[in-house]
Amino acid sequence: MKVRPRHLIAALALAMLPLTACAPGSSSPAADKAAGTNASGCTSPETLKVWSWRPEDVAAYKKIFTSYEEKNCVKVDFQAFKNTEYNQILSTGLTGSNGPDVVQARAYGALQPLIVGGNLTDITGKVEGLDGMDKTIVTGAQGKADGKTYGVPFATQTMQVFYNKKIFKDEGVEVPTSWDDFIKVNEKIQGSGMTPLAVGAKDAWMMPFIHDIFGSAEYGGKDFRDGVQTGKKTFTDAKYVSSIQNLKDLQGFMPKDVVGASYTDAQVLFTNEQAAMFPGGSFELGFFQKQNPELDLGVFQVPVRSTSASQQPVSAAYADGNWAINAKSPKQEASLKLLQWMASKEFGQHVVDDLKQFSPVAGVTFNDPVMKEIWDLYQKSPAPYTLLVDFRYGTPSGTDLMGSGVQELFLGSKDAAGVAQKVQDGVSQWFKPTS
Amino acid sequence: MVQADQLSRPKPRKRSPRPAGTALGWPATVIFLAPAVIIFAVFVLLPMITAFSYSFFDWQGTARGAFSGIENFFTLFTAEPFKSDLPRALMHNLLLFAGAMVFQNTVGLAIASFLYKRKRFKKLFQTLYTLPYLVSPLVIGYLWTLLLSPLFGPVNALLKAIGLGELAQPWLGQPSTALWVIVLVTAWQWLGFPILLYGAALGGIPEELTEAASLDGATAWQRFRSITLPLLTSAIGTVSILTFIGSMEALALPYAMGGSTGSPAGATDVLSLMFYRTAFESGASNAIGVSSALATMMFIFIFGVALAFTSIIRRRERKLS
Repeated sequence: MKVRPRHLIAALALAMLPLTACAPGSSSPAADKAAGTNASGCTSPETLKVWSWRPEDVAAYKKIFTSYEEKNCVKVDFQAFKNTEYNQILSTGLTGSNGPDVVQARAYGALQPLIVGGNLTDITGKVEGLDGMDKTIVTGAQGKADGKTYGVPFATQTMQVFYNKKIFKDEGVEVPTSWDDFIKVNEKIQGSGMTPLAVGAKDAWMMPFIHDIFGSAEYGGKDFRDGVQTGKKTFTDAKYVSSIQNLKDLQGFMPKDVVGASYTDAQVLFTNEQAAMFPGGSFELGFFQKQNPELDLGVFQVPVRSTSASQQPVSAAYADGNWAINAKSPKQEASLKLLQWMASKEFGQHVVDDLKQFSPVAGVTFNDPVMKEIWDLYQKSPAPYTLLVDFRYGTPSGTDLMGSGVQELFLGSKDAAGVAQKVQDGVSQWFKPTS
Repeated sequence: MVQADQLSRPKPRKRSPRPAGTALGWPATVIFLAPAVIIFAVFVLLPMITAFSYSFFDWQGTARGAFSGIENFFTLFTAEPFKSDLPRALMHNLLLFAGAMVFQNTVGLAIASFLYKRKRFKKLFQTLYTLPYLVSPLVIGYLWTLLLSPLFGPVNALLKAIGLGELAQPWLGQPSTALWVIVLVTAWQWLGFPILLYGAALGGIPEELTEAASLDGATAWQRFRSITLPLLTSAIGTVSILTFIGSMEALALPYAMGGSTGSPAGATDVLSLMFYRTAFESGASNAIGVSSALATMMFIFIFGVALAFTSIIRRRERKLS
């Protein structure tokens, strides 16, 4: 076959197309064009590129940032990427030129690689709103080694038990106020053939969550956490072991073969009203309400035993992520201004109303009754979700160890003391208490 | 692109100075090869070389620190969780390979030998068997997870309905069955591939050979044993090597069925999941260093074994010809 050179060159050009299309650093023409004017009608606004891992929230964020543009000569170019690929995209974007200006970054341990890599701008003392936030949450935005602040936390997640009010009413049970009551509620519901606790232990990441929901008050919440930090306590302490034993005691009220049941299975059980309670994070609320708008939801904190280390039921909590500034961004001033706004009550209220998330900004109000209930419980007696908040700064992480540990507990290959030992041995490889 | 016009201008025909056997001259060859070579270099070779170099450094997030020699490799064998995860994950990969090999070279070969002589429905069955191979392993994995769910899964429901309730298991929820389920699903998903390959290889065996053998009084088994099987050596070799590479790199299916931690309690952990956790989920500041070391070792192991395999197969082939 005779090949015409003209065709050859055309083919070559075509083959090169995808290469040029994905070349790094090529800015999209749409973004540049948008710089012409902003919501306030300001003629030459500065464009701030904002990156996020929440494609599902793009519409809500666009609306939120419009209210910022109306008062500032800034155009916010909001881009969202797939959650599971975000870490990779972000670290590439922060190292290259022409990257984003303001980014959504993870919290606590997962934030550290960006901090030690020098990718984020130090904002210590420059954002007023941070002073009013819970310390556990702000810690999530700080460098472990230097103690400096690198971000504005954007959401708090709290952990508690969701319950189906209708099922409770039908079974004639009330929200339990003591551990024995709690067991009785479970037995009553089980007696009717329903699953009391919707738990799926196939997904290991969910296990440290349920451990803290059922065990935080048992091991003493913040006091225990402070004890471990200063070396006065370890994970093999009797109270920590009994907090793990709590899960074993409750296994009979979870679905049969709980290690084979997935997290999604548990969600389905609860939203289909086949299970009465769901121990989970506040992030479940939106999903539950969307899946089954008829669901009459309530929340409670797991009651304590008379022997529990803390005699006050608690809601464990952690920060979900932070807004931070790309250290390489040439627009540091405008970025900082945006971050300051993100720590304001106005932005916080947007997060609550438009995103249905718990803004850590002080003074926001909740219109959704369940959200309000969750927040009030948390305000009354908070506790740090210590395995995530303090023990994700090294490998193996506290949450990973507890995740597979609880699976082993449910399978019967380890007892509560064995799981506690596993967590202690694992984290002591890299964790050194500060005395 | 000045040359475009000159090149496209018709020229008087003259005898080509090219040596016989070369279809195109050098410039054309280069132009034809360039896209593939460039794509290979940019997307395969370059990342491989960089991963290799990364594994010798200490990392602080995305900032490269000091040269650390084989420190990262050392970590893999001395520090938890790698020390106990690595041998277990490797063992699981090898079991995946063994399971897939046994299944493909018995069931796969049997189906292929059965199908290649059929005239009717051959295409239909080939398509049916190949279908799972064409679907993403992630989709396959999630589908099987749903089918095997102890709460809502139809598999256990069916067993109970036909009175075999005691056989109903939390298939993916206990270490004794979880890995074998993944081995079987992997083998099942890949089944179409050996069927196609063996089908083609069987079609290539000259009929005179088997005909002559049967005239000499060879039984069906003798014909298969002494003629068909030896002539399939290269196909079996290809299938084995690709299966080996596939099972050593298995990620999507174990991820979909056991999550990134290889639930339950690490019973379905494989090397790629270990790499995934170390690189993207650990939050350790030296994640890039250690995970690159793991990736490098995986590559060397897979490449080495595949090379050894190939040379053995080549030797056997030479003996036959």
